[in-house]
Order: sequence, then structure tokens, then C-alpha cells
Amino acid sequence: MSEALLTVDDLRVAFATQSGRVQAVDGVSFELRPGEVLAIVGESGSGKSVTAQTILGLTRSHNTQVEGSIKLGEQELVTASQAELRAVRGARVGMVFQDPMTSFNPVYRIGRQVAEAIRAHRKEVSKDEARERAIELLDSVGIPGAERRVDDYPHEFSGGMRQRAMIAMALALDPEVLIADEPTTALDVTVQAQILALLERLNRERGLATILITHDLGVVAEVADRVLVMHEGTIVERGDLDQIFYSPDDPYTRQLLDAVVRVDTAAPLRARRESEPLLEVADLVKHFPVKRGLLVNREVDRVRAVDGVSFSVRQGETLGLVGESGSGKSTLSRTILQLLEPGSGSVRFEGREIVGLSRRRLQPLRREMQMVFQDPYASLNPRKRIGQIVGEPLRLQGEAKGSELRRQVQELLDRVGLSAEHYDRFPHEFSGGQRQRIGIARALALRPKLIIADEPVSALDVSIRAQILDLLSELQADFGLTYIFVAHDIGVVRQVSDRIAVMHEGRIVEEGPADAVCERPENDYTRKLLAAVPIPDPREARARREAAGLA
Amino acid sequence: MARFVVRRLFGMVAVLFAVSVLTFLIFNVIPNSDPALRMAGKNATPTLVHNITEEWGFDESLPQQYVTMMGKIFSGDVISYEGRENVDERIVEGIPATFSLCLGAAVIWMFFGILFGYLSAVRAGGLLDRVLTIVAVTGISIPVFWLAAILLNYLTYQTEIFPSGGYVEFGESPLEWVEHLILPWVTMAIVYVGIYSRVLRSNMLDAMNEDYVRTARAKGLSERRVMTRHVLRNSLIPIVTLFGLDFGALIGGAIAVEAVFSLNGIGQYAYESLINTDLPPIMAIVLFGAFFIVLFNAFVDIAYAWLDPRIRLGEEAR
Amino acid sequence: MRVAPQPNVEEAARAAAGPWQLAWRRLRRNRAALAFGVLFVLILLVSLAAPIWADNVAHTGPNSTHTLQKLEVDGEKREVVNPSGRPIGPQWFEAGGRFFVGADGRLGRDEMVRLMYGGRTSLLVGFSAALLTTLLATLLGLLAGYYRGWTDALISRAMDVIWAFPVILLAIALGLALAVGGLKIGPLELSGSSIWIPILIIGAVFVPYMARPIRGEVLSLREKEFVEAAEAQGAGPLRVMFGELLPNLASTIIVFFTLGVANAMLLESMLSFLGVGVQAPNTSWGTMVGSGFQLITSAPLLTVLPGTLLLLTVLSINVFGDGLRDALDPRSKLRLELHAGAAEPEGTAV
Repeated sequence: MSEALLTVDDLRVAFATQSGRVQAVDGVSFELRPGEVLAIVGESGSGKSVTAQTILGLTRSHNTQVEGSIKLGEQELVTASQAELRAVRGARVGMVFQDPMTSFNPVYRIGRQVAEAIRAHRKEVSKDEARERAIELLDSVGIPGAERRVDDYPHEFSGGMRQRAMIAMALALDPEVLIADEPTTALDVTVQAQILALLERLNRERGLATILITHDLGVVAEVADRVLVMHEGTIVERGDLDQIFYSPDDPYTRQLLDAVVRVDTAAPLRARRESEPLLEVADLVKHFPVKRGLLVNREVDRVRAVDGVSFSVRQGETLGLVGESGSGKSTLSRTILQLLEPGSGSVRFEGREIVGLSRRRLQPLRREMQMVFQDPYASLNPRKRIGQIVGEPLRLQGEAKGSELRRQVQELLDRVGLSAEHYDRFPHEFSGGQRQRIGIARALALRPKLIIADEPVSALDVSIRAQILDLLSELQADFGLTYIFVAHDIGVVRQVSDRIAVMHEGRIVEEGPADAVCERPENDYTRKLLAAVPIPDPREARARREAAGLA
Repeated sequence: MARFVVRRLFGMVAVLFAVSVLTFLIFNVIPNSDPALRMAGKNATPTLVHNITEEWGFDESLPQQYVTMMGKIFSGDVISYEGRENVDERIVEGIPATFSLCLGAAVIWMFFGILFGYLSAVRAGGLLDRVLTIVAVTGISIPVFWLAAILLNYLTYQTEIFPSGGYVEFGESPLEWVEHLILPWVTMAIVYVGIYSRVLRSNMLDAMNEDYVRTARAKGLSERRVMTRHVLRNSLIPIVTLFGLDFGALIGGAIAVEAVFSLNGIGQYAYESLINTDLPPIMAIVLFGAFFIVLFNAFVDIAYAWLDPRIRLGEEAR
Repeated sequence: MRVAPQPNVEEAARAAAGPWQLAWRRLRRNRAALAFGVLFVLILLVSLAAPIWADNVAHTGPNSTHTLQKLEVDGEKREVVNPSGRPIGPQWFEAGGRFFVGADGRLGRDEMVRLMYGGRTSLLVGFSAALLTTLLATLLGLLAGYYRGWTDALISRAMDVIWAFPVILLAIALGLALAVGGLKIGPLELSGSSIWIPILIIGAVFVPYMARPIRGEVLSLREKEFVEAAEAQGAGPLRVMFGELLPNLASTIIVFFTLGVANAMLLESMLSFLGVGVQAPNTSWGTMVGSGFQLITSAPLLTVLPGTLLLLTVLSINVFGDGLRDALDPRSKLRLELHAGAAEPEGTAV
């Protein structure tokens, strides 16, 4: 058995914040063995990122207290001096962060930033040599045309390319260990698959020991050898990949696994009734002009966000709308609700055309269609009490006022799993999941027939997602709601939808019953999408990789 | 980038035009009295008023008046009836003094402003930071004209540490040029040292929390490198824009400072004209001052766009 | 089988408190800000007490001259203004409070009374001008930021033109133009010496400096989902601007207003010093420095006192304003939440 590369022993990290002392990491011990991929899995607040960053001493400040030991080989890092730490950073341990756009300095060229990493440790290397090396590195992570791209600025790269560049930079000095902190979270699922493949290749070809921090069990199943599950600052379970997935011991781990949605599992059967179409969209178009010009801005191009979309949704059903970023799905939702004016096309609600209606005519219709938004932090006005927020639609439509209004709002709050006494609280006093419940209560206030939910659970922790999805499902049954469920995660969409429509570059490329689309996709893009989704099942993942020939 | 420059220049011309119209309105239209009478000043005689009316076309239509006014000012044809001299000539004479004052003050405030801001940010929360913050806040609270008067009184009249005013050409004696300008420079610079050190401090503190700073540390860069190459560099960009706005506006502050220290520049000319309610010089100075600031700002905008690669390479960020 | 845990109604770590209460608590902890706030209030009170002092202690008004008078102090007769034009120095309480800090120049007016009335004027002009600026800037910023398009283009261009003028030059130009003949726009008529003239001028010239940042903030707030939610419920432009956007601008506006008072006071004093601000018979600290400057060598106190008071007042406002800004928007100096803890999965949105 080879020596551990990295040994963490009883690590404790505490922060002094305005609201008191926060113990982010509370007694964490583990080893990193040569050549392995160790995944640290947890939800937000579990302490996984803090642990990772503390390894490189990035959490050091006079508000932080770090105790315990982190040993890289023989060297103790917790008590190391700044100079010793600097010698380790980048040279012996490289790190990749979550958001490559903000992790690169926007005013320096990529090549220069990579070269900076090299020359920070090898002062004898000349600028030209460093640049050559940077080109080699960019090439080795699969960036085409590295010769030219080395002089580009970060904003000229796509998200996936930027992350590759970041990986290249982290590996510039051939470190022994790579720490990747949520490296694919900010990327589209198809790009994510590529980056994971890259990491896996680097691990295999160079024997690069990797610590992978993530919340996504699918990612873990694809890449990891061993897994640590963290919860509230401690490791609740550890083991190798199969053990964690197939025979977990800890209840939290089991809870986490249960809450994961898999795209290859059929949803529980839903009662189907034949019903009338509630919403019919025909050839809907929304383009955004791109204006350039010397004196007067003339339109030179268009962003074809929604480029001729047609579909219909029946009463009581849930239509899942799946697409990656840039597919146009969010623009579509807003255009349907007439929050954006369509360029052309028709939207019929209960048989009535709503495109082109004046604001006054539209007003009564607004009660019938509402929206639940993605970002629980931006979708509630921080200056208003939630009683006010939820009651606003009722007030605007003249439905109720005074104590009757209050009563109705409290009933709604109750119905979504909050309590009536929360009426006077402000949004910042609630967690992400609770805020989504408030958003749902608001959408429900006027008893709409149709609710468009735009990525309602994407910003939430996995275990909370299940609760919110369950809530939405209950409400659908109780109130006879029709949903359009928009998301980028096809696994989640499959769980909740009767039918699925796949959107790509402004068009719907495939549509059909959920099970059919997911198991027998007809369109290439759909197939590509499904293939890229990581399956939180190691055996399946291995089988898939073998079938694809270990690309 | 070229597209940006062209657009900016066109915009500049439009603004210059609007500025000239506004100046015209302020001086000849808004006030509630006879423009010729106002221009004649204290020693107005009916003949003088009549002559002025003819010369400036006050009996003609407004657009015509505007054209006449612009023509006279830009062709150096404006006479001050009070001082009996050619306004534009006097302005040109005053340029060296005013320019020396403004440029010197700018150099001082940029140096100290950036230095103090940098030190404050790097040692944020500590004693040095607190002291520098006090200095900065006091700096922005001091009335410039009053400070000038106080310094003049206590450091020149009473104690004769510095010469009591007047301007010496650089060509004549560099040493005296400096001696006579030190107090004025300090007076003008204090406010801006305060402003700039605070702005830089604030920008740097924001930048220090950015992800790319964390990346820089993770690469193993020394703390000093991180602070200068990444934090300071990115924080200086807005300072450049700010400087552009402020430098052009200096002429306003220069009026009081030049007056107090008798520096015989454009500012002092403006002061004298104000005290004597002599309109023509004020008109010319206001117009030229505004033009200068518009030109200077256009230049700064273009420089800023060049510095920010997102704009230079054609991403329509605006 | 899925185990759905019970909805976890977590309580907030702090007791339930709205954003304003939290801000107030933060402000309370800032001792420097509070101390200077108290200083400002003291200066304000003393200035407001001007008539009381004038009537009961000094027995004279701010413009009443006493050139040829003599004071009786302990049987001795002191000339208020001596034959060579030198004014009397501070008497403190020797003359029963009259000429507490002396007389001002040839006209022999009571300097203390003038300081107090001057303070009243300076504070009044500063406050009113800042109020005017804030109201206009908020309105314009809201309109430009919300409607965008032509409205924004129009407003922004107008702001740019005013912005192009150096503030002081513009104010001087306006001051000069209006001080002589006054203002007459339709039914509105103001005499050249009305206190409203400097208020209007100073209020107007600062508008672009406030309107631009407000517009910027409106532009970014406008994209937030809670605004979309309001629109989805059928809220019209007025409701969105004043019901959704304005409450979120409140902290910015308050801070701008506070700093606006400081800047307005400084500008007014500069204009008055140059003779194109507050006009006689009104007095402000600026005019006092202007006239005191003539006698700087013989009676420096006449320059030092009003300037120092102005400095202290503006300093107090600035320090308090800083404290206010920190309390209302604590992007605290050393950010303590690590990016680490907030590794939330991000959805992708178009």
C-alpha cells in the first residue's frame, strides 16, 4: 500500500462572522492516495469547499481559526509560513474553481495568466519560454488552435474552453495533486461531460491524484474512485464508489441518494385524463435585434431566441421543457406570459388569442397564468414582508383587502408548508427552499389555471428539491393546475412531466410522452443531451463508458 | 474599437453644440434684464449700451444672436467693457499659470491619493487605515477657498515661510516657480487626495473579494504581486475615468485659489470679472472651460476603452 | 421509494428584524458616526437659535451696523470700530454677550450674531438644494432606467450636457446671470436677492451626478425577477417604479442625500465667496469668509471662524454619511462569508 499523498487529520475551521462564530468544518480526517480520484460530496453548508480551500491556506485571515493537521507528504500545511505555502500552491497542489469566467482576471490575456503561474515558481524561465509552455498546456487540454488562442482574453473563450484553460493553468507545474472545486457546476451538461472526460483522462494518463468537490452524485458516479460524504462540517460516511452507492450505512447518505432523480428511471404513473388543450402556441417567434452602427444604430444581426415554436398543453398535464443555456426556454416562458412581446406567432389560452392584447385586456387574464421563478434570492423583493409579497396579486386584482386579504394570504402560506406567523417576516430570514415556497404561494394566490415554473428547483440543494417537487405535485392535484416545467436537468423534468419538449437554439427539436423521449429519443440533439447526463449509478456509468469505447 | 472612437467623437461634437447653446441661453436669455445693459457693466452709458446692442445683435432674432456670440468668442473678438481689453488675449496670457497650477496639483493628488488608497486597502481595518481615512474625510470637507486664505495668512503673511503670492514663469526661475506654487498646489490637491484615496480603497477592497484574486493566490503568487498586478491594476481603471472628469473641472476650483494667491491665471481673471460683474470674460471662460472638459473627457473615454480589452476587441459592452 | 423529509421550518439565527432595523443596529455600533451626528445636531441647534441670541443676548441683528458706537465695559469705553477701521476683538461675556467674538470690519456688525444667522442660511440652502437635487435625480433616474429606449436617451443626453459643464463654472454662470436681474419664467418670479436663487441653481447643477448612479441601479434592479413577478401579476409602470423599485433604492437615496447636503453647502460657500451665491441682505458662512478675507491680516478671526464652522459641519455630515452608508449596505470591509460555503448549484438560464 503506497503512502498517502495528503493526510488531513481532525481539521477544524471556524469563522467569526457578524452573527457569531460559525464552525464550518468540525473534525474532518481523510487521506488522498496516489493516483486516485477522491470525491467529496455534500450540499451547501456542508463544509466541503472550505475544506478544499483550507488545504491551500486560502481561508487564512484574522477572522478564521484553523486547527488540526494537513500534511502534504511530510510537510505540515496548517502551520506553514506564507512562503512555504506559496511554494506549495500551484507547484505541488493545483486548484481549479467553479466559475472560470470570474476566476480569470478579465484584463489580462489567458496565455499571460498561465505563464504567470509558471514564472511565479520558476523565475529563471523567460517570458517567451513561458509563453511556449502555455501554448503546449492549452493544447494538452484539448483547446484547438492553441497558438492563436493563447493571446485571447477570457471573455473570448466559451465556458467550456475557459474551464479547460483553468485546468491547464492549474497543471502548469505538474503538481502531485489537483483539487477541483465544483469544476462543472457552472457549465452546460454537454460541456460538463467533456470536462469530466478530460479530468478522467488526466487522472488516468498522469496518475494525477484528484480531489473533486461536488454536490452532484451523477458526477461522482462518473469519475470517482472513493467518496467522502460531508454534512454540516463532518464526514458522515466514507467508502469506495460502489459501497457508497449500493450499500450506504449513514441515513444522511441514504437520504441524499434517495433524493437524486435519475433520467433513466420512469416516473411514478400519473393519472391520465383526456382533456382539452389549455394553451396552444403556434409559430411563436421572439428575436432580439443586435444593433451596431456609427451614428445611428442599425440592426446587423438578430439573436433568434425563440424561432418558431409550436406546442400545446392540455388541462391538468405537466409539460416539461428541457434545454441548455442559450436554448431560448426562459425567453419562451416570458413570451408566452406576454412579459415580452412576441415578434410574431400566436398564443391561445382557452381558445382565446392573447398575443397583441392591450394591457387592459390582458389584466384579467393574468390571473389565469402565473410564474414561479428560478432564483429564490432575486424573485422576492427584499424590502417587503412576505405577507405583502404574497398578497400583492390579490390586491392588484382587487380580490380582497384588509383582514380578509390577510386571512387568505395566511391560508396560502399554510398550504405551501410555511406558517401563518411568517406573514410579517422579510425574505432574508428564510432559506432558499422556503423562499421558493413563498414564490409558489404568490403564484397560487389568484388560483391560476396555468403555472409556468422556470427552473424552480435548480438553485436548491438536492434534498430540498424533492420537497419542492412534491409540493408542486400536491398542489397540482388539489387545485387542478396545469404546469409548464422548464429546466435544464432532464432527469428532474422526466420525474415530473407527462410530456417533454426538447428545445435547442430557439426551436423544439423533439416532443412526446416523457418516457418515450427519454428512452427512445428520435432527434440527435436529444440523444446527445441524454448521453451527457451523468447517471448516479456507478455500474451504469461504467457500462456506458465501455459501450462508448472509453472516449 | 475604431467604431467606438468614431461614435464617441460624433457624440462629442453634439455635446459641444448643446453646451454652446446652453451657455448662450444662460447668459442672454434666462436673465431678466437687458443683455446689453448687463454687458456694459458698471459704467454703462446709453451710447455704450446702444453700441453693444448693435455689435452683438441683441435686437435680432435669438438664433442670430447665438451665431454672433459664438463667432465673436471663437474669433477672439470679445472686448471687456470694464477692463477695456481683449478677453481672449487675456485668457491666453493666463494659460501658463493656470496650467501649472492644475497640472502640478494633479500630479500631487494622483500620487498621494493612490498611495494612501493603496496603503489603506492593504492594511484595511488597522491603525494606518483609520488615520488615512480621517485625513481623507477631512480633506473632502475643507472649503478650498478658505484653506487658501488660511494658508496664505499663516504661512506667508504672518510667518513668511512661503512667498506671498504671484506667479513666476518656469522659464525665469524653476525654483521660484515651485516656491510660489507649493501652497496653491497643496490647497487644490487636498480635496482630491481625499476623494481618490477613498475611491481607490473602496475599489481595491471590492477587487480583493473577486474570484480572480483567489486564483492568483492559488497559483502561488506572492502577496505583493497579487496586490499590485491584480488588485491594484483592476482598481485603477475607474480611477482613470474619474481623473478625466475631475481634471476638466479643476478650472472651477482654480478661480478661488488663483485669486487668493494672486497667480494671474485664467482663474484670477474670472474672479476679478465676477467681483466687477463684468460679463464678457465670464462668458468666454465658461464656454472655453466647458469645451475643454468635453474634449478631455472624450479623450479619456477613448483611453479607457483601450485599457479595457472587452471594449477594445469589439464586445459591445455598453 | 422516496423519503421526503418534513418541511424544515428553520428559524433565522437572529431575531426577526427588517432591513431597516438591522441597519439601525449597525449604525448604533458606529461610535464615530454617532459622535459626529451629535456634533452636527449641536451646530444646527445653535444656528436655529440665532434669533434668540440676537434678541436676548446681543440685542442686535445680523445686518445692523454699529460703526460709531462705543461699548461700556467696566466703566471703560471701547470703540466698536476704531478710527483706522479696525473692528473690536472678542468680548466674550464682558459686554453681557454683545460682540461675543467681536465685530466684523468697518460696518461694526456683531460677528456672533452673523455667524449664527449665517449658519442658518448655509444650512437652509444646503439642505433645500440637496432635497431638490434628490427629488429630481430620483425621478429622472427612475424614468430613464425603467422605460429605457427614447426616454432614457433623452434624459441621459440632457444630463450629459449639464455634466459637461464643470459644476462650479455652471453654477457661477447661473449665479451671475440670475443674481443681477432675478428669474422670470412665466408666472414664477424671483428677485435677484431671493434665497431661492442659489437653492435652485445648486439643486439643479448636482442633478446629473445623482441621477446617473440612480439610473444605473434602476437598470440593474429592473432585471431582477421580483420585478418580473410584479409585471406578471399585472402591475403597471407606476406600481413597479414606486412600489417595487423605489423601496430598493431607498438606502442609496438616503446616503446620496446626506452627502448631497455636504456638497451643496461647500458649493454655496464657494459661490458666496465669489459673490454669486447668497446675496445681501442674507448672510452665509461663505459670504462671511468672502468679506473676512479683505481683513485677513488685521482680523483673521473673521475668516477663521466661519470657515471652521463650515468645515466642522461638512465634516460631521460626511462622517455620519459614511456611517450611514456602512450601516445600510454592509458589504463589510473584510468579507467573511467565503465563496466556499456558497457552492450552490446554478441553473442555466437564457
